[in-house]
Amino acid sequence: MPHSPTNLLQGTLDLLILKSLALGELHGLGVSRRVEQLTRGTFDVGPGSLFPALHRLEGSGWLSSRWGVSENNRKAKFYRLTAAGRRQLDVETGEWKRIAVAISYALEAN
Amino acid sequence: MSIFGHFRTSVRNVAGRSAVEQDLNEELQSYIDELTAEYVKAGASPDEARRRALIKVGGVEQVKDQVRDERPGMMFENTVRDFRHGLRLLRRSPGFATIAVVTIALGIGATSAIFSVINAVALKPLPYPAADRLLYITSQFPSLGFEKFWVSPPEYLELRERSKSYSDIAAYLENPVNVSEGSRPERVSAVFVTANMFDVLGVRPRLGTPFTPEQDLPNVEPVVVLSDAIWRRTFGADPAIVGKQVEIQGRKRRVVGVAPPGLDLHDIHPQLWMPLGLDPTNRRNRGSHFLYLVGRLKPDVSAGKAESELRTLVHQWGTLSPGMHVPNDTTHRLQLAPLQVEVVGNVTRALWILQGAVILVLLIACANVANLLLVRAEGRHKEFAIRSALGAGRGRILRQFTAEGMVLTTVGAILGLAIAHWGLKALLAANPASIPRAAEIAIDPRVVLFTLVVAAVTATIFGLAPLLHLGEGVVAAAIKEGGTRTTHSAARHRVRRGLVGGEIALAVMLVVGAGLLIRSFRNLTTVDAGFDGRNIVTFGINLPPSKYTDAQRRAQFSADLAAKLNVIPGVQSVAAMTGLPPNRPVNANDTDLENVPSGADLPAHNIDYYQSATVHYFEAMKIPILKGRGFTPSDVAGPGVAVINEAMAKRFYPNVDPIGHRVRPPGPDTLPWFTIVGVAKNVKQGGLDQKAGTELYFNIEQGPRINGRAPNSFNFVLRTTRPVDALASAIGNVVRSMDAGLPIIQLRTMDGVFADSVSRQRFLSQLLAIFAGVALLLAAIGTYGVLSYLVTERRREIGIRVALGASSSGIVRLVLRQGLGLTVGGILLGVLGALALARVTRSLLFGVSPTDPTTYFLVAGVILGIALLACLVPAQRAMRVDPLVAIRDE
Repeated sequence: MPHSPTNLLQGTLDLLILKSLALGELHGLGVSRRVEQLTRGTFDVGPGSLFPALHRLEGSGWLSSRWGVSENNRKAKFYRLTAAGRRQLDVETGEWKRIAVAISYALEAN
Repeated sequence: MSIFGHFRTSVRNVAGRSAVEQDLNEELQSYIDELTAEYVKAGASPDEARRRALIKVGGVEQVKDQVRDERPGMMFENTVRDFRHGLRLLRRSPGFATIAVVTIALGIGATSAIFSVINAVALKPLPYPAADRLLYITSQFPSLGFEKFWVSPPEYLELRERSKSYSDIAAYLENPVNVSEGSRPERVSAVFVTANMFDVLGVRPRLGTPFTPEQDLPNVEPVVVLSDAIWRRTFGADPAIVGKQVEIQGRKRRVVGVAPPGLDLHDIHPQLWMPLGLDPTNRRNRGSHFLYLVGRLKPDVSAGKAESELRTLVHQWGTLSPGMHVPNDTTHRLQLAPLQVEVVGNVTRALWILQGAVILVLLIACANVANLLLVRAEGRHKEFAIRSALGAGRGRILRQFTAEGMVLTTVGAILGLAIAHWGLKALLAANPASIPRAAEIAIDPRVVLFTLVVAAVTATIFGLAPLLHLGEGVVAAAIKEGGTRTTHSAARHRVRRGLVGGEIALAVMLVVGAGLLIRSFRNLTTVDAGFDGRNIVTFGINLPPSKYTDAQRRAQFSADLAAKLNVIPGVQSVAAMTGLPPNRPVNANDTDLENVPSGADLPAHNIDYYQSATVHYFEAMKIPILKGRGFTPSDVAGPGVAVINEAMAKRFYPNVDPIGHRVRPPGPDTLPWFTIVGVAKNVKQGGLDQKAGTELYFNIEQGPRINGRAPNSFNFVLRTTRPVDALASAIGNVVRSMDAGLPIIQLRTMDGVFADSVSRQRFLSQLLAIFAGVALLLAAIGTYGVLSYLVTERRREIGIRVALGASSSGIVRLVLRQGLGLTVGGILLGVLGALALARVTRSLLFGVSPTDPTTYFLVAGVILGIALLACLVPAQRAMRVDPLVAIRDE
C-alpha cells in the first residue's frame, strides 16, 4: 500500500511544491529533495504523494513540464511554475500565514 | 488555466492515453534512476542502490494508479470504464438484471409520478404573473360555525375603497349557464366577475379586450369573454368572433374577447366570463353574501401587513358604515389567505402522504436490490482480492463494486421516467376530478431533476451496502479466506438482516396506513345519507330567467315534467328539488322562526339548507318522516306548509313539538308564514363526512300562490330499476317535448353522484392500497431471498447437524426462528413507526382512529403470515439437505 501524506495538512503539500519551484525548474527527485531542504528534513515526500501532486498541479495549470537532462546526464522531466502558479503561490502563502497566525493565537489563548 | 485548457488536457489524457502512459513510465523510471545514482554517490554498490531505490518507490503500479486518478479527464474515463464493466457484468446475468431494473424503475417511476402531481398542485405557483401576490378574501361567522363564507357586495365595495394594501381587489361568483349555440344546447361552467378581474389576475384576453368598467354596471348591454376552449370547440376558433352575438341563458350577449388558453379561476375551469354588474352605489342587502374576492397586493406590501390592515378595518367597520350586519371582531370577521393555498386546499397533505408512501416503496425496492447486489458481491470476494494484489487502489475497487448499482440505477431512472409519464396519464384518466389543477400536471424539468436526485440517492444506497462490509481489512481477509464460503463475517449478515428487517418495518407502516384509509373509505360509503340512494337516476334542468320570468310557469314546468317522466315505463316515482345531496354548499338563510326565542346565547335564526321540492319528494327519495307528514297533493292548493329535518327540530324546538309552529324566509314582514307539518330524517346535504345541517323544506307547487316564488334550477330524481343508459333517450324526448332549448345537466345515477363526492378519498385509498400491496410483495420477496441465501450458506452446518441426528422438525425450527425473529423485529419497528405517523394521517381518516388496534393487529397478522410463507420454502429446502452431499460439496 502506498503511504499517503497523512502527517501533512491537507493542501500543505501543494504549497510546499509550489514554493520549492519558486526559484527555478526541478525534476521529481529534485522537488523532493528541495522540500526536504526547505523544511529542514521534516517532510520526506515519497513518490506515492509526489507524482500525483505534480500531475494534479500541472492539470490545474500551475506547473508546466518539459523533458530535459539532469545533472547526472540522465533524461528527466522538469517542472516549473507558470504565471498562474506564481499567483497561486502568493494566494496560498497569504492564506497559510493567516491560518498559522490564527492557530497560534488559538493555541496561546487561555 | 482556462476551462478550455483544462478541457484540452482532459482530451489529451483520454484520447492520447498510450502516449501519456508512456510518458508516466519514463518519468517514474527516471526517478528511480536518479535515486539510484544518489545512493551510489553516497557509497552504496550499484545493486544495493537500485534495491533501496525500488523499496523507496514502493509499488510502481500503485503510484501510477494514483497519478492516473489525479489527471483531469480520468474521472470521466474511469466512470465510463466502470459503467461498461457494470454493463458487462449485468449482461452475464440477465435474470437478475431484469428483476433489479424493473424493481428500481417501478420505484423511481411511482416516486416521480407522485412528485409531478405535487409539483403541479402544490409547488408550482398558480399560472398568473406574480401569483404569490394574489390573496383570497373570505368572511367568517364563528358563532354559526362557518369558517369560510362569502362576502356581501357592500362589504366588497367598502373594502376596495378603504384598503391601501392592494393594487386592486376583484370579486366573482360562479354560476353555470346554458349556451344555445351549435346543434345542441349545452351547460357550461361560467364566472361572473368585476371588470378589473383580468387586471388583478394579470392576464389579457388573447383576442379582443377585457371588460370596461361601464360594461360592469347593472342594466347595460350584456357582453361575454369566451374561454379559449369553448372558442375552439363550439365556435371553430373563429378569428372574427369578437363583436358577434352568442345566446347564453336565453339572452344574446356580445363577445368582447377570448381568454388566453387555460385561464382558470379557483379550479372552476370557466368557459364563459361575464361582468358581475354590481351597482357601486347600492350598499343595501348587507346580509346577502355571495362573492369571492381576489386581491393583488401592491409590490411593497407584505401579506402580513395586509392582514393587520384587514383586522384594523374590520375593527372600525361598524363606525364607518353603521347598520345591521357589518363585519366586526367577533361574529363576522374577514380573513385572507394566499390564493394558491385556497385553490389547492387540503389535498396537499394527502399528496405528501402519497409521496411518503411511494418513497417507502422505493426504499423497500432499494433494500431488495441492495441485498441482491450484496449476494453477488460476496461471490466476487476472491476477484477483488486478486485485483487488489495486482495494484488496484481501494477507491477503484469500491467504484467497481458500485458500478453495477450505477448501471442499474441509470437504466432504472430512464425507464422510471417513462413509467411516470404513462402512469400519470392513467392516473388522471381514472380520477379526473379528484385533483385540483390537474391540467397543469406534467413531467417538467423540475420533475426530471427530482428523478435525478432520487436516482443519485438510490445509487448511493446501493453503493453503501457493499461499502458497509467492504471496509478496512476486508480485502486482506478475503485473500486469507481463499475463496471458501464457510467463514462469514457477522457484519455482512447484520447488514443483510438489517435491510430485511427495515423492509418489513416500512411495509408495516405502509400497510397500516393503507388499511386505515381503506377502512375510512368504507366507513364513508356506508354512511347513512338519510335517504335510499339506490335505484335513483338524477339530472338537472335550468330554466333561463329571461324566458321563464313567471314563477307560476316555472313551478308548473317542474310539476308537468315530473308527471311526464313518471309515465316512462319502469319509472316508479319522480320528484324535483333545488339542492342535490351530498355536495351542497351551505345556503345559511336568515329565517323568521315564530315563537322561537332569540338571544346572544341561543342559536341564531339561520338555517343551513333550504330545499324546495315537489309533493312526491319524500316518497321518491324514500326519506322517512319521523313526525307529522310530508307534502301531499292537497298542499298544492292548500295553505303554506313546511317540513323541517331532525337537526332543525333539535336546535330550535328542543323541548316543544315543532308541528304547528310557523316559519318564514327572509323579506318584508308582509310575507306569508309557512306552518310546520312534519319532521323528516336528516339528509347528508353537505358531504358524507360532514354533520347533517339544519334543513327547511318548502313545496314548489304552492310557492307561487303563497309568496310568489319558485326556483329556476331543479334536480329531478327518478326512482327506477332501469339502468340510466336505457332511460337517457326517453328522458331526452320528454324534456325536448317541453322545451327543445333546455340542456339536460349531468344525467347519472345517485350512486354515481355519491361515488363522485368521495372520489378524492377513493383515489387516495386506492393508490395507497396499490403501494402497500407492492410493498408487501417486495418485503416478502426480500425475506424469502435472504432466508434462502442463509440456508444455502448454512448447508454444510445443516448437513452436519442432520448427520449428528438433528430431526427435520428441528432443522425447520432453526430456519423459521431465524426468519421469524427478523420479521417480528421488523413488525415491532413498523408498528412504532406507524404510531409515530398517526398525527399526520388523523385528518384524512373518517370514523376510525389512527391508532385503531384492529387494523394494527390485522396488519401484523397478515405480514407475519406472509413472512411465514416466505420462510417455509427455504426451511423445507433445509429439511431436505442431504448431509453427505452438503459436506462433500465444499
